[in-house]
Amino acid sequence: MRNNKIKHSILGTVGDALIWIFLIGTAALILMPLLFMFTSSIMPSKDIFKMPYPWITSEFKWQNYWTAIRGPDGDFMYLRNIFNSFFVSSVVSFTTVILSALTGYGLAKFPFKGRTVVFLLIMSTMMIPFEAIMIPMYMVVINMGLQDTYPGLILPFLTNAFGIFMMRQYLITFPDEILDAARIDGASEPKIFWRVILPNAGPAIATLAILTFRTQWDNLLWPLLIAQTDKMKTIPLYITRFTAETHTDEGAMMAIAAIASIPMFILFFSLSKYFVSGASLTSGSKG
Amino acid sequence: MARHRKFGMEHNKAKWGIIFILPSLIFFAVFSFYPIINAFYLSFHRKDLLSLRAPKFIGFDNYTYLFGSSNFWNSVLSTTFFTLGTFIPLLVFSLILAAFIMSRKRFQKFFQMAFYSPAVLSSVVAAVIWLLVFDPRGLGNQMLNTLFNSPGVDHKWLATDTMLRLSTIIVYFWKYIGYFTIIFIAGISSIPKQLHEAAYIDGANIWQGFWRVTFPLLKPTVLLVSVMSMIQCLKTFSTQYLFTVSGTPSKPINVITLNIYNTAIRDHRIGRASAMSVLLFIIMLFFTGMQIKGSKSDDVTYM
Repeated sequence: MRNNKIKHSILGTVGDALIWIFLIGTAALILMPLLFMFTSSIMPSKDIFKMPYPWITSEFKWQNYWTAIRGPDGDFMYLRNIFNSFFVSSVVSFTTVILSALTGYGLAKFPFKGRTVVFLLIMSTMMIPFEAIMIPMYMVVINMGLQDTYPGLILPFLTNAFGIFMMRQYLITFPDEILDAARIDGASEPKIFWRVILPNAGPAIATLAILTFRTQWDNLLWPLLIAQTDKMKTIPLYITRFTAETHTDEGAMMAIAAIASIPMFILFFSLSKYFVSGASLTSGSKG
Repeated sequence: MARHRKFGMEHNKAKWGIIFILPSLIFFAVFSFYPIINAFYLSFHRKDLLSLRAPKFIGFDNYTYLFGSSNFWNSVLSTTFFTLGTFIPLLVFSLILAAFIMSRKRFQKFFQMAFYSPAVLSSVVAAVIWLLVFDPRGLGNQMLNTLFNSPGVDHKWLATDTMLRLSTIIVYFWKYIGYFTIIFIAGISSIPKQLHEAAYIDGANIWQGFWRVTFPLLKPTVLLVSVMSMIQCLKTFSTQYLFTVSGTPSKPINVITLNIYNTAIRDHRIGRASAMSVLLFIIMLFFTGMQIKGSKSDDVTYM
């Protein structure tokens, strides 16, 4: 009996150690490409393909970053494209938060005939994948004369069913007494939304805003259809163009990649809580 | 009087409810319902992207063309390879990683952050990094050759059909593994601790605790992750697009979305692209339906 227990605990320790090794090994493997991106972004191309890979270069080539920003044509188009990504992602986050909160609030707190039908109708759009409707959507936007414009990049993403669902779930538990108190005080409904609901939905808003910002920052397919001229392109398109045109300058390519990732990493490390809640929320919506 | 006022207030509420919902409803009408109806409509027509001529009705011609086209079946095959090759490993490894992380008393947060960090990158950046890793002179060959002690062998990551497919799978797996790990961690954390404690008091070890307690209760999350990852894989575009743009062969990774894009934008065949979109939509609807059905019948209650 006692022997058995010792055997058990040895097995337990070995298993424990194996789990640690597995976790640390996997973490190292997953982090390696990231480390590769940052280290090679300051290397001359010949170092990037040296065997074995020198994780710290012998000659720092900060010039890669200058080449990245200056661009192959020397017109600093990357800066403009970075601005476009920031602008489009920010506007989309803003409208998604406002419209989702507004609609979610309407669905959560205002009974009217047909509300359930409207709710289900909105939820049903979650089943329509963007990839399946992008061509008709593209034709809608072209017919509006919005090709190669900011509104063209932004319009199809003003809000989404997931955001509405999330805000509705969040606001449904909001105490009615507070709303009624505000009404008795004579506040109008829009004012209640703006002054009472929005300030009290902080965590939900932050989660939704970050989720939306990231999705837009990552968006390739839609800008590919809409942005025709270089000055309307976003970061993913700039990277695509650079890869297609000058894929011999690997150092500069990694510098471009690093520049595109740094804002996201800053967001991630300062607001990781909301990244994680965003990920686990996407699962909660189905439960 | 009081009753009248109450009725007035309810009426007022209904009015404001509709006002608050209306903007989104108009939005969905224009950017969801109209396009999906139009996709069905166009799939029965011939329409050139650039010509102003009205679409010409051609019945099921677009569909019969697709079902007889080797290019389309190649896309179906590429998408199937990619989806099966990606979502199954994603499911298995994210579950293992989540269970391992949750079994640790320390560094839980660190591992979550580390595994999740590639998900922060945009897909294009992920693809660019891996393009260099898969270069004949790159890290990919170096690491495999160190592992198998075979110096100087080129594994042709971006050249042969199988390796190219595997490469896109690796990129995707790498980017999303942390995301699904976090979903599983959320699922595991929602299982009451007492259940485990009870099992351990009854003499179960960690292994039994996982298989007999955690895993059965995690079934809804397993179902959710498998359908979610499957649907995401069916929609994959960025990695394949960037790889082909950088000059890899396109045939083995010409997934359906890439084919839709090229058919519409490069070949200007809107009708045919719409028919493909409709087929993709139906396939995804099937899987979503499966998930909804499964999550209803599989509800788990924690007593």
